[in-house]
Amino acid sequence: MTAERTLFAKVWDAHRVRDLPGNNALIFIDRTVVYELLGPPAIEQIETRYGGALYDPRRLVAVNDHVVPAKDSSTAEQAQVLRTWARKRGVLLYDVGENGICHVLVPERGLVVPGSTVVCSDSHTCTLGAFGAFAFGVGSTALAGAMLSGATIVARPKVMRVFVRSRLQGGATAKDLALGVVARLGFKGGTGYVLEFAGDCIAALSMEERMTLCNMAIEAGATTGICAVDEVTISYMRGREFSPGGEAFERAAAAWRTLVADDGAAYDAELRIDAGELVPTVTWGTNPGQSAPLEGIVPHDAEPAALAYMELEPGTPLRSIALDQAFIGSCTNARIGDLRAAAAVLAGRKVAIPTIVTPGSQAVKRQAEREGLHDVFQDAGALWTHATCGACPGLSTGVLAPGMRCISSTNRNFPGRMGAGGRVHLASPVVVAASAVMGRIASPSELEAPVLA
Amino acid sequence: MIVEGSIFPLARANVDTDQIIPTRFLGSLDLRGLGRECFSGLPGIDRLYAVHPDATIVAAGENFGAGSSREHAVWALQGRGFRAAIAPSFARIFEENAYNNGFVVCAVPPDAIDAVLAARSARIDVAAESILLDDGRTVEFKLDPLRKEFVLGGGFLAYMEAQIPEIRAWEAAKS
Repeated sequence: MTAERTLFAKVWDAHRVRDLPGNNALIFIDRTVVYELLGPPAIEQIETRYGGALYDPRRLVAVNDHVVPAKDSSTAEQAQVLRTWARKRGVLLYDVGENGICHVLVPERGLVVPGSTVVCSDSHTCTLGAFGAFAFGVGSTALAGAMLSGATIVARPKVMRVFVRSRLQGGATAKDLALGVVARLGFKGGTGYVLEFAGDCIAALSMEERMTLCNMAIEAGATTGICAVDEVTISYMRGREFSPGGEAFERAAAAWRTLVADDGAAYDAELRIDAGELVPTVTWGTNPGQSAPLEGIVPHDAEPAALAYMELEPGTPLRSIALDQAFIGSCTNARIGDLRAAAAVLAGRKVAIPTIVTPGSQAVKRQAEREGLHDVFQDAGALWTHATCGACPGLSTGVLAPGMRCISSTNRNFPGRMGAGGRVHLASPVVVAASAVMGRIASPSELEAPVLA
Repeated sequence: MIVEGSIFPLARANVDTDQIIPTRFLGSLDLRGLGRECFSGLPGIDRLYAVHPDATIVAAGENFGAGSSREHAVWALQGRGFRAAIAPSFARIFEENAYNNGFVVCAVPPDAIDAVLAARSARIDVAAESILLDDGRTVEFKLDPLRKEFVLGGGFLAYMEAQIPEIRAWEAAKS
């Protein structure tokens, strides 16, 4: 009956309650994620204006994630509002102790279903597009709307196919691919689009790597990113806490396997990338699109305002830039695979600058400890923390002082992002780890042989 | 609905949400102080406030409001007394948040923004989707036809509430 469809169109069509004036539609939301920092304004609106009415509490998840544990009375109040509300309204709650960054925790519990729709009042909700889901950030009022009505208003985005061929090699990681996509599109080049990732490179990525890639779709202004479902997706879903079991799982998996773009589907735009040409990448500027090869220099045509803030000169080799801190964490790069990769670099070595390693969830933390990674980090002299967003948004456990320069496995290098006046260089976990050892931006390949005990 | 006032010229692109309201000000249930911190993440902002103390309309380069989903960015602007922003383009979530709070966002043609940045004041006719600058020039913009109603009359949540019966029926028919 219909023409060939993009993957995004299939998910859109399956959730479109009806079209609305303009380019808008009413889109049914399968999962709404509420967290302590930007959730309370939504909770307050629902409680005061609608008597606490929720469309379906079973579709909601509450997570204490941004500042865990609370760092002061004021953030403790936010956490308290979330937990009190969740208990009162029968909403599944992940509280202090089983907390995590929601974009890490929600998938590891099996709470994002392939082909579903997810909203959360956090822009990095796009991370969950890795599961073939239409997952996107909204404001607190729109979040309240989804809690109340089970749907939201979406202006239908255009779809850009980001076709990535070949394989990541030469030390390039999914983070370098993400930075590469943002650099090619620019900080706003994805605005109005969903980025539909395709190609043999994407098929070869793990779910964690796909999450790293989709996580940064918002950094090009895109509504979200989305990846096709394949056996990698299905194998990840198997056995998760909230995944169906037995026969029900096989039936669900059969439906999920249809969540791929049709051959011949038409796209509004296309970006083609050869993964074999990607190299380890570090940002030099004040938005995630301003990056250069690790082995390269600060570009001669770099934006002057960005350089002034970063206190850098054009032509400076990136590997000559001295650092004050290293941070491994965030919804971009704090899953178990990220920690394993960073630990492999730090094993038998010592960090030269304060280095903070913050796992993405308490479940990731416990897995890392079963594998002894916490010993590797701590033997290297790094601080091994509990799970939280923490230093990435400049809220706790590693906030920068004015003028401090930090290399970070996170997603945003905005002025002041990790603390007023602080400077952030984004990179992959392995480049952050190598840089921590050298005290300057560095490549793992230049480290001397580790001293193994 | 008319928004009239003097221009606050931010002649730069990519003014992100962390510059509009840094994350460290989000750690509280109390939203009343946000206006005091509006643009506190933007280097040199004090000078601009000193020159334009009573401005109510922000004019900026492309991609205004990029980054985070924090509705606090809009609340901070409103808390500071701003009622509208004019730019060649806005980030999606910021734009939606603006609509939901009755904060006027005017996406104008890229070649028109220099005139807006140079103007002392402007008069925005929201219903007519038109800006009259103090030098007599007119700049048109386009609002989303659905969300425009939320700007003019408020009521985003009331609208969503009114959809519930249809949403429930749709869900029941689907399963």
